[in-house]
Amino acid sequence: MKIIIDRFDGVKKYIQAYILDINEVKGKTLLALLQHIKRTQDISLNFTSACRMAICGACGVRVNGHSYLACDTKMDDLLAEYDYPDTFRISPLANFKVLSDLVVDWEPSIENLRKVKPTITAKDEFSEKNGCTQTQEEVDTIKKQWDCILCGCCASECNKLEADSSDYMQPFVYTHAFRAAYDSRSKDSLKHLKPAINNGLWNCVHCQECADRCPKGISAADDISNLRVLAMKKGLKKGTGPAHAEAFLLDLENTGRLNEIYLALRSEGVLANTTKIDIAYNLMKAGKMNPLHIFGDDKIEGHEDLIKMIKAARAANKE
Amino acid sequence: MQEKNFAFFPGCVLSQAAKESKMSLEAIAPILGLKLHEIKGWSCCGASQAQDVDPIATLVANARNIALSEAMNMPMLTTCSTCMLTLTRAKDSLDKGAKNRINEFLAKGNMKYQGSNEITSLLWVLYENLDTLKSKVIKPLSNLNVALFYGCHSIRPEKAYNKKESSTNPKSFEAVVSALGANIVPFEKRLDCCGFHASYPAEKSVKKMSSQIVGNADKNGADCLVTPCPLCQMQLDIYQERYQDAMKSKIRKPIIHLSQLVGLALGLGNKELGLDLNIIDATKLI
Repeated sequence: MKIIIDRFDGVKKYIQAYILDINEVKGKTLLALLQHIKRTQDISLNFTSACRMAICGACGVRVNGHSYLACDTKMDDLLAEYDYPDTFRISPLANFKVLSDLVVDWEPSIENLRKVKPTITAKDEFSEKNGCTQTQEEVDTIKKQWDCILCGCCASECNKLEADSSDYMQPFVYTHAFRAAYDSRSKDSLKHLKPAINNGLWNCVHCQECADRCPKGISAADDISNLRVLAMKKGLKKGTGPAHAEAFLLDLENTGRLNEIYLALRSEGVLANTTKIDIAYNLMKAGKMNPLHIFGDDKIEGHEDLIKMIKAARAANKE
Repeated sequence: MQEKNFAFFPGCVLSQAAKESKMSLEAIAPILGLKLHEIKGWSCCGASQAQDVDPIATLVANARNIALSEAMNMPMLTTCSTCMLTLTRAKDSLDKGAKNRINEFLAKGNMKYQGSNEITSLLWVLYENLDTLKSKVIKPLSNLNVALFYGCHSIRPEKAYNKKESSTNPKSFEAVVSALGANIVPFEKRLDCCGFHASYPAEKSVKKMSSQIVGNADKNGADCLVTPCPLCQMQLDIYQERYQDAMKSKIRKPIIHLSQLVGLALGLGNKELGLDLNIIDATKLI
């Protein structure tokens, strides 16, 4: 079996192929395979690892373009996943600067973590004498996010980061912002929420890669969504993202269905939409946008009941 | 295939910017023995946006949507991947504990969610009935080179779909299109995101993402891109010229719906499949 590894010596990028007997591959973890290659074929191969038990997050790498925590991934599972191929390609995590072979630079990500201030300041009601307690329900809200081991697998596959990292942070950073902002012991959720908003919270493209790649089953996409819910609750609604999301809810409430014309106008405003007249013209020409919708749509059958249901849910939620 | 009845959930996009998706679906369905009964009074699913403002309202709306389909005693079918994901997640949430609470609210409209029916997509129905599909092909698409673009919400997150198929190595789309006889080209971007859901707040990134997908399909010799998701189709078709111009690319590719591709193999014409409604000319594919 051929294992192709992306190499980088600090100056030049190249690929290197290692030929192994299938019995050298089967029965190992991905990390054990890398260690085997280093031990038996190439001492110069660099990668990071530490705990070997999926709690330190040091050994995230990519296989065939998807990220995995090496110590927690069985080669037998990868063989089955990719239909028993004769070649695997192992690469460093994407969306990170590569330092050497499979070793990546974590410093920019740690800087982003600092931005969302992931440690909480306890509410004044807590004291050294009385402690700082939570109900089980409050613990449950954030306990999954405490499992994040900063392996970078979510960030590696993030489609938004790949397109442009200048206005977005690594998905796990939002997870840590969520964990702190939703912690019932925290004195000030805005301390974590505001920097998340200011650093791209509304720019997530909903690709759900982060949810699938996390070896701990955490969905940063859901954490992002929940941070947005909190932002809306706190009245932090400035920007196209909140306006766009709110436009969907307004249409649901007004008629039950989406109105493309209102959606565009509510999301960006009239002025910005004048730059997209060509798109609207093409749609109208193809009969795919009805200009008369500017006067509104008919309500769906049962709309009145839908509104009653929503009102009841909101009232109960406030209790 | 024995005639199968479905409670059809079109989703907002099929009645407007992707109306050709609905046209083509309704054209192929009778040939394949799929009987679609549009759910009366269905509402917007929230499109993974309204949830970020008011999750309880959108859960109630989707519980109502599913309850409407349950009253029809049929599985629920949608062609929109985002509707599929949203409805599936709502069902999961209801089945895992929210049912009784949400039913208190549905009772205001004399409705009740039971948890009795399945939610499925056109892609999966075709995948589960490949033999029927093959038997109905009268015009194999062997001269057509297609790049298959899944769209995120067709496959991710795996957990939401109970790991029905792998999101790193999915096979349903390839199997369905192979059954149509089309030539599937290699396509590195096939599992990527088109960026649709952030096209307003992150327009610059989304332009790049969409443009790279079209460019990658072209590089691999595709005559067109095909997708099971009408939102991806809309994103890559309607905005293509604008985004390609922004990226200084002259590449233009037809983006067609899975239902349109199936229709071509079933021998249907451009008009019946709404191919003349696509923004990038898709009428000369075969």
